[in-house]
Amino acid sequence: MGQHDHIVVVGASLAGSTVADTLRRRGFTGSLTLIGAEPRSAYNRPALSKGVLAGYDGFDEIALPPLSCEVDQLIGIAAVALDTQRREVVLADGERIRYDKLAITTGARARRLADLDAADTGVQEITFRDLDDAQRLSWLLAARPRTVIVGAGILGMELASACVDRGASVTVIDRQPPLHAQVGPFLAELVVKAAERRGVHFVHAPDGLRLRGRTSGTPIVELADGRRLEGDLVLSAVGCLPEVDWLRTSGLAGPGGLHIDTRCRVTPDIVAAGDVAAFPSTDGPRRTPLWTAAFEQARTAATTLLDGDSAPPLTPSPYFWTEQFGMTIRMCGAMPPLDKPTVLEGMVRNGVIEEGGLLLRWNGASGTAAAVNRRIPITKLCALTRPAPATI
Amino acid sequence: MKLTVNRDRCEGYGLCAEAAPDLMHLDDDGELVLDRDDVSPESSVDAESAVRVCPVAALKVQ
Repeated sequence: MGQHDHIVVVGASLAGSTVADTLRRRGFTGSLTLIGAEPRSAYNRPALSKGVLAGYDGFDEIALPPLSCEVDQLIGIAAVALDTQRREVVLADGERIRYDKLAITTGARARRLADLDAADTGVQEITFRDLDDAQRLSWLLAARPRTVIVGAGILGMELASACVDRGASVTVIDRQPPLHAQVGPFLAELVVKAAERRGVHFVHAPDGLRLRGRTSGTPIVELADGRRLEGDLVLSAVGCLPEVDWLRTSGLAGPGGLHIDTRCRVTPDIVAAGDVAAFPSTDGPRRTPLWTAAFEQARTAATTLLDGDSAPPLTPSPYFWTEQFGMTIRMCGAMPPLDKPTVLEGMVRNGVIEEGGLLLRWNGASGTAAAVNRRIPITKLCALTRPAPATI
Repeated sequence: MKLTVNRDRCEGYGLCAEAAPDLMHLDDDGELVLDRDDVSPESSVDAESAVRVCPVAALKVQ
């Protein structure tokens, strides 16, 4: 990598700002441009469905410190196309930015039921992805609406928790059992029981559902069996899609995102990291839209831009956390763990976790550990996933 | 500049200690220890990187 080269980073949230920061910290002295579509500087996105919606965190609490290294920042303007022949990023205002090397960190957008062909044409869907979404939902919750949430993954369940805490009545619908695909059956059952104790109503819709428009107001959720669920507020929390529309003509990306290698390369001159990127896994290229994945990939991507093949490949260390219904869950290792865990510390009585919380390890092939309502430094928690269990 | 850690939020990820090894470390129990809370101008970039990588926004620099 020549020190006179120009590196362009498209996407200025966690992954993009980490790429820029890592490049400078590792001694890159060429010119560096960071382009971001959101009209504000980077912030801690996981906090949106936690502290921000609960009302105890504002933007100041979750803003990431601005980059103080030398970087040209174009914030609030989207990249709309990539010309790999001419090595140019085309911006919404028509400007073309030439690069020698490129990092793509454009993240993801909320998936809609309409993306799944499960919504009537023209239905207004409410999704949850950025600070504006969080502030709008927070405002809507002040009226304590009857809320219907489609999707019982991590986001749907965190939203359900925040909504009941704000006094709304909540129904959660999914084709799959809540949280099974994310945390496995053991923890999912504990969370669902905690949610039900707080009044959340669960509807299982194995044959699917459709969002039906009405002449005015909130749409209705119609299940395959004909049941209809009405609310004052209907939220779609059905995952996210990689932000690759702007790469349409480049031929680089598919619907599953940008396939990267273990050094986060898309092509010899282009790297990608974060929610837009699909990292190699035993099941093929797979997106892992989680904070730690975005961070590790961004660091690897930056190192690869500078060092090429001599950059160390990334070995991901899967980790995520969630806060919902009075439970704080932290998990390391392969997910979801499907077998029954060994309870290393703590106790569950009648579906309720006793004071002091739980420490769990799955002994099967999965190599997973979790702490629930229990503080344990993450390095110690992750050590439990290794074959020879560490003492704590 | 001063570094502060919110102990209620900190979960001991250690990403900050990797970003700013001269300013902080994890102790043998995996808990974060700030070795210096006064940040010199030379180490301010490290300090800001450490703050940026904290997944739970526990670290602040002012």
